[in-house]
Amino acid sequence: MFSPAVLGQVLINGISLSAIYILVSLGFTLLFGIMRVVNFAHGAMAMLGGYALYYIYGEANLPYLIAMPLAAASVAALALVLERLVYRWFYQKMFQSMIGLLGLDMALVYSAVIIWGPHERSIPSPIDTVYRLGPLFLSGSKLVVIGLAAVTLAAFYLFTHFTKYGLAMRAAAQDVETAEVQGINTDRIYMLAFFIAIFMAAMAGGFFAQNYILSPFMGERQLMMAFIAVILGGMGSIPGVALGGLILGMAESILGTYFGSTTSVFVTFGAVIVLLIVRPWGLLGIPENR
Amino acid sequence: MKLTKGLLAAGVIATAALGPQMSSAQENEELKLGVIAALSGGGTAWGQGLLRGVELAVDEVNGAGGLTIGGTTYDLTITPFDDQYNAAQAKTAAERLVHEEGIRYLFGPVGSPGALGSIPVTQPEGVIQFVDGYATKILDNEYKDDLFVFRTGLSSSEFSKPVVDWIHEQMPDVKKIGVIAPNDAVGQQAISALIERYESQGFEVWSDFYERGSKEFTPVLLRMVTQGVDLFDLNSNAPGEAALLIKQAREVGFSGQILQAGGAGVREIVDAIGSAADGFLKYDVIDLNDPALSDFVKAYEAKYSGPINGLASQYYSAASILFEAMKRADTLDTIAVRDELENMEGWETPFYGPLNWTGEDFYGVNHQIVIPFYIMKVVDGEGVVEAKIVPDLD
Amino acid sequence: MKTITADNMAASQKQPHKADEGSTRQLRIKLVLGLGLLAIFIILPFLGLSGFTLSLATTILITGIATTSLHMIIRMGHVSLAHGVFMGLGAYAAVLSVVKFGLPFPIAMIFAFLAPAALALVIGPMLLRLSGKYFVLVTFLLGEIIRLVFVNWQSFTGGSNGIFGIPLPYEGLADPVAFYYMTLIAALLCIGFVARMLQSDIGRIIDTIREDSRLAECAGIPVLRMKVTVFVIACGLAGIAGGISGFFIRYIDPTSFSIVQSLNFVVMNIVGGMFQLAGPIVGTLFFVILPEFLRGYVELQRVIFGVCLIVVMAFLPTGIVGLAAYIRHQLSRWFK
Repeated sequence: MFSPAVLGQVLINGISLSAIYILVSLGFTLLFGIMRVVNFAHGAMAMLGGYALYYIYGEANLPYLIAMPLAAASVAALALVLERLVYRWFYQKMFQSMIGLLGLDMALVYSAVIIWGPHERSIPSPIDTVYRLGPLFLSGSKLVVIGLAAVTLAAFYLFTHFTKYGLAMRAAAQDVETAEVQGINTDRIYMLAFFIAIFMAAMAGGFFAQNYILSPFMGERQLMMAFIAVILGGMGSIPGVALGGLILGMAESILGTYFGSTTSVFVTFGAVIVLLIVRPWGLLGIPENR
Repeated sequence: MKLTKGLLAAGVIATAALGPQMSSAQENEELKLGVIAALSGGGTAWGQGLLRGVELAVDEVNGAGGLTIGGTTYDLTITPFDDQYNAAQAKTAAERLVHEEGIRYLFGPVGSPGALGSIPVTQPEGVIQFVDGYATKILDNEYKDDLFVFRTGLSSSEFSKPVVDWIHEQMPDVKKIGVIAPNDAVGQQAISALIERYESQGFEVWSDFYERGSKEFTPVLLRMVTQGVDLFDLNSNAPGEAALLIKQAREVGFSGQILQAGGAGVREIVDAIGSAADGFLKYDVIDLNDPALSDFVKAYEAKYSGPINGLASQYYSAASILFEAMKRADTLDTIAVRDELENMEGWETPFYGPLNWTGEDFYGVNHQIVIPFYIMKVVDGEGVVEAKIVPDLD
Repeated sequence: MKTITADNMAASQKQPHKADEGSTRQLRIKLVLGLGLLAIFIILPFLGLSGFTLSLATTILITGIATTSLHMIIRMGHVSLAHGVFMGLGAYAAVLSVVKFGLPFPIAMIFAFLAPAALALVIGPMLLRLSGKYFVLVTFLLGEIIRLVFVNWQSFTGGSNGIFGIPLPYEGLADPVAFYYMTLIAALLCIGFVARMLQSDIGRIIDTIREDSRLAECAGIPVLRMKVTVFVIACGLAGIAGGISGFFIRYIDPTSFSIVQSLNFVVMNIVGGMFQLAGPIVGTLFFVILPEFLRGYVELQRVIFGVCLIVVMAFLPTGIVGLAAYIRHQLSRWFK
């Protein structure tokens, strides 16, 4: 049970799970930090990303490295329309956004049921061989996800730390009013942040659909895990999300392997509850001063 | 607050007015059939399969000019309701169909929660109901002395024994079985019957549950691999989960035989994971290459898209059985039709050979259908019949 | 940073009906409308409607107890996503009292209140310190954990298969009309109790806590103790709703008390209007009757539902009740 082969496997699974959780929750926390919307439609965006990849890569057969970003970008572009139609009514209204966007989620998911049917499909993986490294089994599709997620995260980090727009975005995330006073065009920043957030969610959805399965309901669990990861790390905190996602992914893999999935849920959820009671602002968040 | 009253009034009027709708521009009388199925949430694929199966059967009857019973010709219509795979919703839907629409013939719900939520509504009213779900209480309940519920598919209590016997016969090298199931009504019900069967045949069994909705099974599969399991049984997992379990089992290095004693739909699994499914053995209730099904498959593909769910053929068959019983009874009285259904043994069903009911010994009532099932093997992405088994239950 | 509540209050204060003048007249209007609604419910069985309408009305009453009890928690500025589970606790407590321990029905209903109330008493002091979004998440996680207990404690709860064949408490309740009146009385007692509480000083204290809990503390209000008291009562009342529904459906299982149910209760409160007791009542009526208007659109139902939520949240932060008040205000200005 504790042989190096099993431990190595547990580690790889943990990392690939974490990669997906982090991608989904990064966008979630960005929207929350900047616009104070709790995007309960985030899972639906991931789902749309899955279907976009299904058509662009699975059906149209474009090269994978082009299809992946193209699928995510097309969902993000569509989401910009939704930004004008729906999201703008909810900026800076945390509570209304929760319920309103839950409605958007429902509308998107059940439209998907009508358009594509409820049955599950698969997207072919660019590499579906399973590599053997000594006693370790490495699935090609998981390696692709880990690699691409790492690249995306690095790009996101560089963007938010070294470009003008990225810095402005982070400033807005910390304090919108001060950012406005400093001459940052928040309207444009909103659009940009929105595009990036949905881009990452759609990309994560594509990975998820490819590694697991594509169906209208696939976003539910990701949304839930993203919400937990974000609160665990500290709402609005970008390093916090990375940490939260990593902890959740690893915990699911380790606890699930050694103690079974029911125990894993009990322990993870229980630990998050205790943490929130003791330290509600999360691991890396900043306490609210009212 | 004015709106409150208005709404209530409107609601009451609407519910009252919509009751006895008369069919207008038709020469034939209208006969309403009810469907309760999960059309939203996780069970949607099953619910849709059920609804489509009934729709196809109804289309066929209406296309042939309707159903003549007691000298009157009826056009059949379907009133579907969504129960969201939930007991309370199924009760409300059943109340609505039975008391509001006056429906006497009901298909569904899918799954034990909905089935058990609706039975206390339908049975005192004598509504004939074709239920899907594995719970034994669906047949073995307080109404069984005067039961109008029929189960037209096999439940784990029926198919576990023959499948396990087949494995015992065909695979002498297999000693230890791994079973992984969802922690819900389907899983909890199926797994106890199955494990009991395996153990009585001398197999060693390792089992574990996962939470419904999870897609990452590598942790639980790693647990299984370290137990030295020879055969991995997917039991009644839904097609999506079953597919992922196969794919991920191979990814963590499981090289033994994988088999599914339960569930439905080889094609859905192959669609979901492609070549990873090769060599997989599967219990199935439908062989799409069977010439008896070719008309049904054609009709299905003409009307709908997507893979054919096993519940579609099963409920097409159930509807056909009901229509025949109605014709024989020559009345719409449900007691007469129920008695006719019970006595219709031997009638040639569309796909499953002569009709045969069982269950007296196990449930205390002969309302469980006996249909043959297949063990399919996936070869190059196609399900090929490995064995056809008629469960011997009498 | 603004919290949930401050944010909502800003929205609600924009609504004209918050003006002080004529509040006694408003109270009278509410009373009349409330009594009118009550009268409809009392005579309903004599209107010659089908059995389904009666069953629907019973469902409305049970749901009404759950949503109005949740309303008390929401009025304090906390949105609980565990209310469905507390209802489930009550259902399991009541049903198991009868099925496993053979206790009489009235005692079972007392347990239906006590079981969730006791849990609320234990966890309330910890949870109610948390503000808005944290409370939402913690109650959600807690709900999942309790649901898992229902699922995994198979020997006691029947696991995922639930408990089927729940006996009727009394022979006489086999008649749907009798069951309906029993539920009506229970709903009157529960909702009446909530209404009385919100009308009293406690109600004003609850509103003060929501608007500014620090200020309330400075004014000498024992904020946490107050919150825990309200939370315990609200969860206990939800348990009563659960107990009745167990004997009404005669089958209980964990899926009936999942997060979906909790969310439904929250949505009913918010769409109806969350700052007045009328809100959850209107919300309940609206959502139980809505599917009647959408029949024939089974597949589109959820899409329409989702769009409704967006529209209500974007343009009617005070819900349907707020809209009614706004229209009334506009009309009275017009006719002046």
